[in-house]
Parts: sequence; C-alpha cells; structure tokens
Amino acid sequence: MKFHVSAALSVFAAASLMASPAIADVCDTPSKLGDLGKFEGEVITVMGSMEGKDEEMLTNTASCFEKATGAVVKYSGSRDFAALIVADLRSNNAPNIAIFPQPGLAADMAKDGFLTPLGQESADWMAENYGAGSSWVALGTYAGPDGKEAFYGFPYKMDLKSLVWYSPEQFEDNGYEIPTTMEGLIALSDQMVEDGNTPWCIGVESGNATGWTATDWMEDLMLRTTTPENYDRWVSNDLPFNSPEVLKAMEVYGQFSRNDKYVAGGASSVATTFFGDAPKGLFSSPASCLMHRQASFIPAFFPNKGEELKDGSADFFYFPPYEAADLGNPVLGAGTLWTMTKDSAATRAFFEYMKEASAHEAWMSQGTFLTAHKGADLEAYATPALRKQGEILSNATTFRFDASDLMPGAIGAGAFWSEMTAFANGQDAKTTADNIQSAWDAIK
Amino acid sequence: MTRTFKHVVLALIVFIWVLPFVALVTTSLRSETASKTSGFWQAFTPTELGQRFGTHDRDQTDPFVSMSGNIFERLNKNKDSFQISGDVQSIMFKGRLPDPDKPGKTKLIKKLVAAGEVMDVRGGEFVFQSNGDFTWTFPEETAPKPKNLDAFINQNPVFGTDAYVEVLFENENVPNALIASFIVTIPATIIPITIAAFAAYAFAWMSFPGRDWLFVIVVSLMVVPTQLAFLPVLQGFSGIASWATQLNAWMTDCEATQTCQVASKTFASLWVTHTAFGLPLAIYLLRNYIVGLPKELLESARIDGASHLQIFTRLILPLSVPALASFSIFQFLWVWNDLIVALYIGPADSSDLVFPIRLQKQLGTFKDQLHLLNASAVISIVIPVIVFLSMQRYFIRGLLAGSVKGG
Repeated sequence: MKFHVSAALSVFAAASLMASPAIADVCDTPSKLGDLGKFEGEVITVMGSMEGKDEEMLTNTASCFEKATGAVVKYSGSRDFAALIVADLRSNNAPNIAIFPQPGLAADMAKDGFLTPLGQESADWMAENYGAGSSWVALGTYAGPDGKEAFYGFPYKMDLKSLVWYSPEQFEDNGYEIPTTMEGLIALSDQMVEDGNTPWCIGVESGNATGWTATDWMEDLMLRTTTPENYDRWVSNDLPFNSPEVLKAMEVYGQFSRNDKYVAGGASSVATTFFGDAPKGLFSSPASCLMHRQASFIPAFFPNKGEELKDGSADFFYFPPYEAADLGNPVLGAGTLWTMTKDSAATRAFFEYMKEASAHEAWMSQGTFLTAHKGADLEAYATPALRKQGEILSNATTFRFDASDLMPGAIGAGAFWSEMTAFANGQDAKTTADNIQSAWDAIK
Repeated sequence: MTRTFKHVVLALIVFIWVLPFVALVTTSLRSETASKTSGFWQAFTPTELGQRFGTHDRDQTDPFVSMSGNIFERLNKNKDSFQISGDVQSIMFKGRLPDPDKPGKTKLIKKLVAAGEVMDVRGGEFVFQSNGDFTWTFPEETAPKPKNLDAFINQNPVFGTDAYVEVLFENENVPNALIASFIVTIPATIIPITIAAFAAYAFAWMSFPGRDWLFVIVVSLMVVPTQLAFLPVLQGFSGIASWATQLNAWMTDCEATQTCQVASKTFASLWVTHTAFGLPLAIYLLRNYIVGLPKELLESARIDGASHLQIFTRLILPLSVPALASFSIFQFLWVWNDLIVALYIGPADSSDLVFPIRLQKQLGTFKDQLHLLNASAVISIVIPVIVFLSMQRYFIRGLLAGSVKGG
C-alpha cells in the first residue's frame, strides 16, 4: 500500500520538485554505464543506517540503476539498523541488500549463514580496481557458517578520518599558519593558548554510541606514534591494550582532550558534548575554538550544512604525523559494507553496478562521498574540498581502517567506547587500558 | 490554609507538566540561531547575542575612500523572516599589533569596542553606532576585501512560523507520516474494540463451559510484553507472506511482470499486531462494565423474545458508550505514540513511516535543527489532544468502568 501526498496535493508535488536535485544530472557521469541487463519492475530492497542527506544521495544514485535496468530499488534507513537487521534476518524477512556500517556485525551475520558470498571474481575485481585493493577485500572477507573464508562485504562509500577542520578567516585574523608536522600542531595549540584562544573543540557524546569520536582520535594517534604493523597487532589484540605502545597513544590523546586550556568548555565538557555540535564552535560568534579533528562527513553538521566549504569560511588540513617519528603519511578511514542478504538476479546486477565507475561518480557529484575506485574520474567530485580529500586518500603511504570497526563488537562498539568516555570523565590511562583489555580477555 | 496549600501544590504540578510543552512550542517558533544560542526562557525579553556580519559583498570590488552601511541591513540581507533588530552593544576587535614588550614580535589583541569608538579594520577607520549604522574610512581610495566582524547585539524578541511551513509544506515527510499514522491508528482502534465488545458480551451474559477459565487466560495475556513476541510474530507474517506469494503466482499472471512478491511488513501487519496486543485489556475492561449493567433489563428483553444479537446491538452497545469511548482513547493514544512495533513490524518505505518513526529519523538529521524537530513534535501532539478533548466527557465515566457494580 502506498500513499503519496504529492499525488493528492499539487502543492507538495511542486515543493518536492524543488527540494530534490535534478536526478538526471546525477546519472550523467563522465564514465559511461555498461550493460547491466533488464529487470523490469523487479524490486530490490535495501536496508542501512544512512538517514537524511546520505539517504537522499543513496536514492539518487540508485535511481541511475533503476533507469538503466527498470528494477525498483527500495531503501529504508534507520538509526536502529543493527537491531532491525538481526530481527529481519532471523525471521526470514531479509532485504536483498544490507549495508553494514561496521564489519563486526557483518562478520557475525556471515557466520550465522545469513549472507551470500559475492564470489572470488568480485574479490579479484576489487583487489585490482580499488586503491590499496587487497586491504579492502580483507575488510569484506569473513568466515562463513562452514568456517571457510569468503568475500561477503562490498566496500562502497568511504570516509576519511585524519582531518583537522578550521576557519581560514580565524587563522588569518590571528596570524596562524597551517602546521605540517605534529610538533608544529602542538606548538600552534600552545601559541593559541598563549594568545588567549582555545585551540580545540572535542565532543564524544553520541547517544548509545558515545565514545566513538575518542576511539578515532586514539587510532589516528596510534598510527602516528607506532608502526602500522603494531597497529594491526593491536586490532587483533596480539598487542594488548595495556601495552606501552597503546598507553603512549592514549596519553598523547590525553594531552589534547584532558587539557582544560586546549578544549573549549574545559576537559570535563568532552564527554557531554554531542559530536555534531562540537564543530559549531568554529563558527560561533565569537569562535569558541579554532580547530576540530573529525572525519570527512562532518561538514553536514556545520551550521550551514557544509556551505561553509564552498564560500571559504571553512577548510581542513591533514592531521599531520610527527616529524621525529618518521612513519610516513598514515591515513585512517572507514567504509560501509554492502552485503547480499537475499539472492536474486537483479540484486547481483546491482553489485555489478557498484563496480561501474559511473556508480561512484554519480554519488561523488552529490557531496560527501569518497571512493578508492581507480577508474572514477576525480573531476566528478562535487567540491574542490572533496577532491582534496580524495587526493589525501590516494597520497597515503599507510592506509588503515578504523580499528574499532575491526575489533569484535563487544570491544569496538562496547568497552572501547565506554572506557574512552570514562577516560574523558577523568579515569586515568592505565585503568582505562586495563579495563578494555580485561573486557577483551573475557570474550576470548 | 490547607486549601491554599493544595492549590499551591496543584499549581506547581501543573507548572511542571506544562513547562516542557511551553518550551517545545516556544523553540519551534524561534529562529534556528536563536534557539541554538539561548534558552527558551530568554525568548520573550531582549537578549544579548553574538552575530557575525560581513562589511560588504564579496563581488563588490569598486574602490572607495569611505563606505557606510548598516549592520542590521547586512545581517537581514537574505532573510524573509526572523529579522534581527535591537541595539548594537559592541564589536569584537581582533588583530596582531606590534608587541611593546618584545620588539619585533607581534601580540594578539582581543577587545570589545563600544559604539562611537574608532577601530582599525584592514587599515581603515571603522566606526559604528548602536542603531547599526557604520562608516569605514580609508586615507586613500582602496578596495579592501570584505571583513567579517562579531557584533554583540541586544536583540528584540522575534517569532515566526517558518519551521511549521517548512515541515508541513516544503517537505512531504511529515504530511506523509500524518497520513500513515492515521492509516495505522484508526483500524487498529476500531478492530480490537469491535471484537472485544462481542467477546465481553459473551463473557458477561452467555454461559458456556470453561467460560471463567477462558476469561482468566485472556486477562493473564495482558502481561505478555509486545517486545518479547517480535521474532515469532515476524516469522508468522513472513510465513503468511510467502504463502500469499505462491498463491498469487498460481492464480494470477504476475510472474510475467515480476510482481508476485507479497510484502510481509505492511499496514495490515500492524493492525493485526496492535489488535492482538490490545484485545486482552479491551475484553477485560468491557466485560467488567457490561457485567454491571442491570440484569432485569436484559431479562425483560429476553422475555420479549429478543435474540442475543438484538440484545447486544439494541441494549448493550448504547449503554456501553462510556466504556467503549474510554478504551478507544487508550488504544488510540497507545497506537499513535507507538514506535517500536511500527519499527519492527510496519512497512519500511519512506512514504509509509508512521509519525514516531519520522520524529526519530528527524532526531538523527535535525538534532541540530531543534526548531524543525520541535515543530514536528508539536504537530504530532495536536492530534491526540484533539481526540482526548473531544471524548473526555466519556473518559471519567469510562475509567470507572466495572469498578462499581450496579443493578
């Protein structure tokens, strides 16, 4: 049953035309779309956690597939995706495609036999056509119900995390330069304090996911204080959470976040500030802070929803590495994983569609979307800012995925989050690390 | 004395209950920046707020010696509503000046400049008045880049209905959610009350073996939480849907058009679920009311030769209106406000989402746009309030349903 108000009231029809961007333009990409077959009227159901602007861009991109094949893509997004998808899979109500924001849950579902492998051919394709392809394949490869590893999750739509956002105007007024080393960044922060400014806005509150922003800080600092090999060992817990390497990163994070002079509102406000409100301090009048470290998605939370990037009142720089440590240019990122939960010919065609450069360009042209697809035309990025991020992604000497996404759910979406929140509330680094490690020991 | 005390306590309770609603409505009528930077209690009096304005447009590059303008004009340039007005208190001056203590080094100066005082902006003299007029004078003709300045303004209260216009007319989500909520709520109220009225009559006035035991079972079902039953209920619906899909494929030529699939999460699933979980309370409430109706009335109807159906429709239903009405209010409010059943069992298409899910989604996208979220919340409150007020005269009588035995 369907009810479209727009059909009943022409006022809304006119309004909706104005609201949504011209979809035809989105599908008109530099790369041409190959033949995907015809699936007239077939319905593909997609479930995910993307809402709001992301949901709009997803449906616009899917509409290009609809136009090419005649299939109908029905997306439903909910912040409660993790709970809903488990109920739907267990009760035989699986959608065709489930988009997992974190690999942990996808791996669990693969083990229970709810996911259909995408085949070796897709894995080979990805290794060949994605930048740092084999690491993306590893991200989507899980053990199935028989214990055999197979490629289940197709990474599509990536986020870049190692970015520091700032207002060029404020930097100009205050006479600050953009630092290129971590030493420079810390010196700049001290300079700001000396000038009577507050350098950082940090907020880790996020409802029942409170603490994840702090884990991103930790991961970025791990990559800057120790080797990528240690980072991988940390993810698999071969390097315990309370080892000196991890403690060092946590202490460096503490130097930023637990420093009353560094953080707007004082260190005690970190745990209670909504992560989406934190960057607003850059644009408040007067500005309450001058820098904000956050992933590429954050402009959507700026007061003008990212228009700041276009009119030049906001910009970002790469969260720099220590010059002394000589670890190259490490980059931290994440990606959503598209899995097949109910097989059908049209669904397979949709996965073929995601291999097309055109599918990436269609989303790139709309806004916050980064891709590692080598064939995608960088010119398609909606803004120079996104393009710059795309270049950071491709210039990285080390690329690592969000560690909390890779750790088991009880840690990466549990103890790690809650203990980092406790750390923000004043718990010391050693206790925090010990608590996370004992939570990990408990599930081994 | 005690009377006054009672009144004070009562007034306090009313105040506590009404306060959130006042906050909700006030915020929904304020501008986005105002609701973000100051509390709702500050909405009615002039409040000092920081506002950033640019001296001139970026594309205005003609050189000048002296430029004059108005801060309020600059601030209200692209605004149709929530026009800012008031008195400019001060402007924040920021810049690096040579440090008198350390020669060769500069020092960051931050200070508030009051109206009428001269300050240096990009090498020119900038003076403003508290009514917002400003002049910017240079020693010679120049074309400076626009400068954004932070002004502290004692702002007059301003309200507008923009948020309501935006959620109701500029986006189809909220109107769709209203319609979807009605589609769910009306049948989910009427169906259980119809079934329950018949059942209650049977439990009250018809004798059949095992009647009391059956009634005890029905009553004890009231304690089964809906959440516990999601998985089996969903499995049931998916079984029915796949059976219906096969039937559809066998009876029609849907295979040709690939449209055989029957959805398992639909409005009908919600009707069935809400009916099932609403029935025990409905039967209990109505049975206790009907059992209290005067026995003599029913017996004389019997003697006159009335059938059970006639007694039910001619006597019981008209006499039970208070109980029926009060249960309808219960059920209507419960279904209208339900989030979790709709989330798990209801349709997932964006146009079919019920109001609570839409509000929850707005929480994700509009967490920083409180005025829009609050406007939708107010709209979602209005409907139950109308239902309640229009039926409230039955409510008190109905609440007492079954508590006092008459006859």
